This record gives sequence, structure tokens and C-alpha cells, in this order.
Amino acid sequence: MRQDPPWKVVRAFVLPGSASLVHLHNVSGGVLAGDRLSLDVEVKAGAAAQITTTGATRLYRHRAGAADSEQHVRFSVGDAALLEYLPDAVIPFGGSRHVQRTEILLGLGAALFWWEVLAPGRLAAGERFAFERLRVHTQVYAGPRPVLREDFLLEPRQRELSATPRMFEYSHVASLCVAQEGRPPKFWRVLEDRLNEIARERTRPRQDVWGASTLASDGVIVRGLSVSGCFIHEALIEFWRTARLAVWGEDAAPPRKIY
Amino acid sequence: MMSLGETALLSLLHLADSALPIGGTAHSYGLETLAEEGGLTPGEVETFLSAYLEEAGALEAVFVRLSWKGGNLRELSGELSARKLARESREASLKLGRRFAELVNGMLKQSLLETNLHYCIAFGAVGAAFGLPVDAVVLAYLNQSIAGLVSSCQRLMPLGQAAASRILWNLKPAIVRASLSEEASCFSPYLELASMRHGSMETRLFIS
Repeated sequence: MRQDPPWKVVRAFVLPGSASLVHLHNVSGGVLAGDRLSLDVEVKAGAAAQITTTGATRLYRHRAGAADSEQHVRFSVGDAALLEYLPDAVIPFGGSRHVQRTEILLGLGAALFWWEVLAPGRLAAGERFAFERLRVHTQVYAGPRPVLREDFLLEPRQRELSATPRMFEYSHVASLCVAQEGRPPKFWRVLEDRLNEIARERTRPRQDVWGASTLASDGVIVRGLSVSGCFIHEALIEFWRTARLAVWGEDAAPPRKIY
Repeated sequence: MMSLGETALLSLLHLADSALPIGGTAHSYGLETLAEEGGLTPGEVETFLSAYLEEAGALEAVFVRLSWKGGNLRELSGELSARKLARESREASLKLGRRFAELVNGMLKQSLLETNLHYCIAFGAVGAAFGLPVDAVVLAYLNQSIAGLVSSCQRLMPLGQAAASRILWNLKPAIVRASLSEEASCFSPYLELASMRHGSMETRLFIS
């Protein structure tokens, strides 16, 4: 394993089922203007890894003359391997400019559980959508098949994030992507129905709203919007545990932290 | 300024008629959920569709343009499927694409188009096959798409014909802006959620 500052793997634990849990830390405390961070992970065939962060990814204010900060994460998941990527929320500070790229490639029978939470900023400091620019590029492939492609640009000063098609009255957006190469569409439709049952039970209008849908192939996605970060992780963990039992046949082991 | 010959203009008007019998009136793409839950009222339709055009509209405009340019349309359609996260809306787009292709193939009495493409991709490909200018094709696609959504709103809420027509008229600049998009980019989580949750509604007027 090679690690260069500011990345540091601070701790690894053994999980039930002989998987490993790796805590990944950015020792600089956050992503600074002009930073270009890169994380490449290869989960070898038959291996299982759970990767989480030790805290939120804080995107600091842009500095004049600096390039937009960038974080590029690439995962290659080998045949019959398992990747659980469960980072804490991304918090774009007021005035920040950032690009986030995530690429995940699944081998034959490889499985993925990946959640992502985007906060509106430092709410305690009175910041809500005060960042300048956030670009997100995401792609998940199961072999040659595109499972999930998502690209968006958020510029709250140019385009209201509270517009109804975007976030309406909510401030936090969350996703859980579940995929396994080779599963038939029927399997995902059954899982979609199960996850939507939970979504209906979890949805409390004006507080948080959840839904699930099969993806173009090999997977399902859970989406959520909330007025607070407090309601998100309990729901994500329930969706994850349900999906993990269905896909991997074992209950999930949540990262050792308090959500 | 793009120029169109008489036959080309008539062909484009025909293909971009929102009343084309391909089943477009059966889909709301999540609007039914929003209307039912009070997330969309008659007074908000115009601003809603303006934001829609900046996101989903702009994304589809990019794919109309890409398909007009040619290449592997099936691959392009697969990529768009991966970008349409809500199953009902994704399936609606594919269903309309199939019926549009079948209609065009039937009218021409030849197999011009594959029948497994998203609607916007099929539309761009037909525009190219007919030699229609790409800018006109993208604009026409977006215009009929928005007309279809306004028509859905008329059936979902008290929105009169004159008001609907005024909304469509006012949205022309937003349609032009969306048609010029070059980047496949879309951020519409609340609309996606509305589409994902549509199947759970107790009574539904629309398929999506």
C-alpha cells in the first residue's frame, strides 16, 4: 500500500467474515484550494473491504489564483470481491470550488455498497449553499455495462438549489448505490420493492423523503433528501443492511463510529 | 439563423407534434407525485419547467445533438439509461423511443431506426436521416417535450388553456438556452424521487 500526504490510513480492523475495515484520514483536516487528491483502490478477486473516512470531507474556501480543488477516487473491484465505501458527508464551505470524480469498475460477480451524503455547508456557521461551485462526476460500470452515470454542476448563486426539481425545501442529499455484476433485472426489481417499502415508512414530508429505483443494469439506488444531516445515516444504515442481506447474504457491520 | 426548406419544415413540425400517437400523454415523469403532494401548483409550473430545462432538458438536448451526429446509438442509449436513475422515467423514455421509431418506420415503410433507443436519441437520429439542421431538431424536441409536460399539468391541476399557452410562450428563451448545452449534466434529485415514489401512489392517472 502506498500513501502520500495528506492521505493516511490511520487504523484497520478485522470485520466479521474476515473482511477488513480501513479508516482513511486526510491529515490536513480538509481539502484546500488547489489540492489535487487521488485515491486508487484495488480490491483483489474474492477479497472484501470496507472503507470509511474518519470525519466529514471539508472543502475549504477558494483562494484567489488557485485552481479548483479536486478529489479523484478510483475503485477496481475484482471478480467476486466486495467493496463497501461508506464515507462521511462532504461539506462544501462558503466560497469553496471543488471537483469530485468517482470511478468504480466491478468485475464478474463483484458487489458494491456505496453511500454518499452532500451537506449544504456549515449550517452552524450560518452557511447554506454558500459554496461557489461543486462539480461531481460519477461512473459505475459492471464490466462493459454502464450501471450509473451522474454528472452535475452546482453553482447556487447562478441556479437556485431550492428550485423544485432540484432540492425543493431540503438541504441534504444522500444516495446509496448497491450493485453486483451479473444479477438479473428481476432480482433488482424485488429489491427495489423492498427498499421502497422502507422508503415509504421512513419518509416524513418536510423532514426527509426517500425512494429507490433499479438502475440501468446490475444495481439499485436509494435516494434521499433531508432538512438535516441528523436523519440520514440511520436511514442509510437500514437500507444498506437490507440490501446487503439480499445481495451478499450477510448482515452489514457498520463502521465503528457514532452517526 | 438556420434555414429549413418547405418539406423539411413540415417534417419537423409533424415529428415534433406533442400529439404524435406514441403514448406521450400517458407519462408525467414524476409530476403526478409532485402535484398530489402539493410540491407543484399552477402558479409554480413556469418556474418549475424553467429549472427542469436547465437540468433534465439540457441533458436530453445534449443526447439529441449527439445522436444527430451519429455513432453507436445503442451505446449512447445505454449511457443515457445509466443517467436516468428513476426506473419509471427511464422506461417511459425508452417506451416513447420505441413507439416513435415504429411510427417513423411505418410511415416510411422502411426500417430506418432501431426500436430500442431513448426517445431523444431516436428523435435526433431521425432528424439527421431527414437532413434537418441539428439546432432546429434540438429546439423542436425540447419544445414538444415541454408542451407534453404542460399538458400533463393541465390534467393534474387547475391550469387553463390560456395559462398553459402563456407558460409555453414564456419558456421559449429557456428552451433556447437548454438547446445550447454541451455538457451532459443534470441535478434533479427531488424530481427523481417523485418519479421513484410514483409507483407507490394509491391512485394514478399516469403510467410514470
